[in-house]
Amino acid sequence: MLCEKCGKNTATTHIHSVVNGVAREMHLCAECAANEGIGTPDSGFNSMLASMFGDALSLKSQLNEVRCKCCGSTFSDISKSGKAGCPECYKTFYNEFLPYIKRVHGSVKHIGKSIGENQVKTEKNIDTIDALKEKLARLVSEEKFEEAASVRDKIREMEAQK
Amino acid sequence: MSCWYNNHAPCGDIAVSTRIRLARNINGFPFPARMSDEQRLEVNRKIKQVIESENFAPLSLKYIDMKDVPVNERFSMLERHIASREFVLNSDNKAIVLSEDETVSIMIGEEDHIRIQVILPGFQLEKAYEIADEIDNLLCKSLDIAFDDTLGFITECPTNLGTGLRASVMFHLPVSESRGEILALTKSVNKVGFTIRGMYGEGSDAAGSLYQISNQITLGISEKNAVDNLRVISEQLISKERQLQKNLNLIKTEDLCMRALGTLKYARILSSAELIKLIGRVKLGINTGVIKDDINPIKILIEGQPYMLMKTYGNMTEDERDISRAEMVRNALG
Repeated sequence: MLCEKCGKNTATTHIHSVVNGVAREMHLCAECAANEGIGTPDSGFNSMLASMFGDALSLKSQLNEVRCKCCGSTFSDISKSGKAGCPECYKTFYNEFLPYIKRVHGSVKHIGKSIGENQVKTEKNIDTIDALKEKLARLVSEEKFEEAASVRDKIREMEAQK
Repeated sequence: MSCWYNNHAPCGDIAVSTRIRLARNINGFPFPARMSDEQRLEVNRKIKQVIESENFAPLSLKYIDMKDVPVNERFSMLERHIASREFVLNSDNKAIVLSEDETVSIMIGEEDHIRIQVILPGFQLEKAYEIADEIDNLLCKSLDIAFDDTLGFITECPTNLGTGLRASVMFHLPVSESRGEILALTKSVNKVGFTIRGMYGEGSDAAGSLYQISNQITLGISEKNAVDNLRVISEQLISKERQLQKNLNLIKTEDLCMRALGTLKYARILSSAELIKLIGRVKLGINTGVIKDDINPIKILIEGQPYMLMKTYGNMTEDERDISRAEMVRNALG
């Protein structure tokens, strides 16, 4: 199989992901995978996580060396280990984290249980467009096409109302 | 003491156990990997206070400092699936909170400040999530839990952001495995954001035909949807393996399972690897009605692990353990 990015080299990296509830497969050669910031399988878990942060991010933070006020981490520390130093790091380096989080989860918006002012709220209403798209992908993978069609119509309806 | 694997297991012929894990952290402290000894003690103290408060009284949870737990007992927690390897390897400054039957275990100071785990026998996803959610609600009421409207629950590793939920089911899939269907299964569960791995053995070799399926994505998918998706996949797996087991050649299955039972009943030396292999066949024998004895194969499997044996019989060399294991199994099989 040829790399779907460059179309020249043999695809050696196969990625399965779910983006906004839609399952996706990518088949890339080593070079294109590296350009996408995806590590090779033998690079170890932490370094694979770290490589997903991408070069631009660590370069930028090395120049500025902003430190988290709570734990003193710089973003280059975080991108080396692939892990944050403390909860505050996500606020300090929010913009740096975002592309990486999107790459891992395919989404940067939390859906589900939430807390605010020490009150726990469970999201009862799951009929958001994203949740329905997720349900649609699941129904299609289960080959429940009739149910899938009605969910698809509901998504269209909700999108038209936007 | 009654443990999770002693209790009744719904769909226990195929599903061995169901686990829910929620990762939580407290604002104002670095994550455990970067905490000072003082900060660790402070976090432990805060959580202990909450666990021992009136709100938690109905749950009868017990807070245990790991420094008070002997090494054999620590590693046996890993073998009973109530603590992770990372947690028990270096656990001097850590703590664990357990329910009496160990279905609830809260690891304090693992990768995240708090890891709530609920493990139930068989296939009980909704119930396990309900229990974990109740504990989480109580913790969130009393502690300043790190949460962001966009990123959800904040965790050390960005791969757990969002719900911080890992839902998993462990299956015994001997026939799907022998028909070479695990690879196809791996591909199809990957497509919907789940992963499958062997419980014992290394690499692709899953000793005892035990496999665990869990969700990978935690951000942008609600707890309910993640649990629902895993439920649907699990139901398909269970029904497929049941169908395959039903259509097995009876005399060949009987021979395979009875030979395994015979070895386990009469062996004098039994390695851990041999136990895992043979007990899986005994389980298949029970499922197919070939073996009619009242046996709990999962209990034998777990209690035959090295540290579980040493917890009971004291420190032993590997050779001594193999002899004790054979004795324990003979006793269990009557």
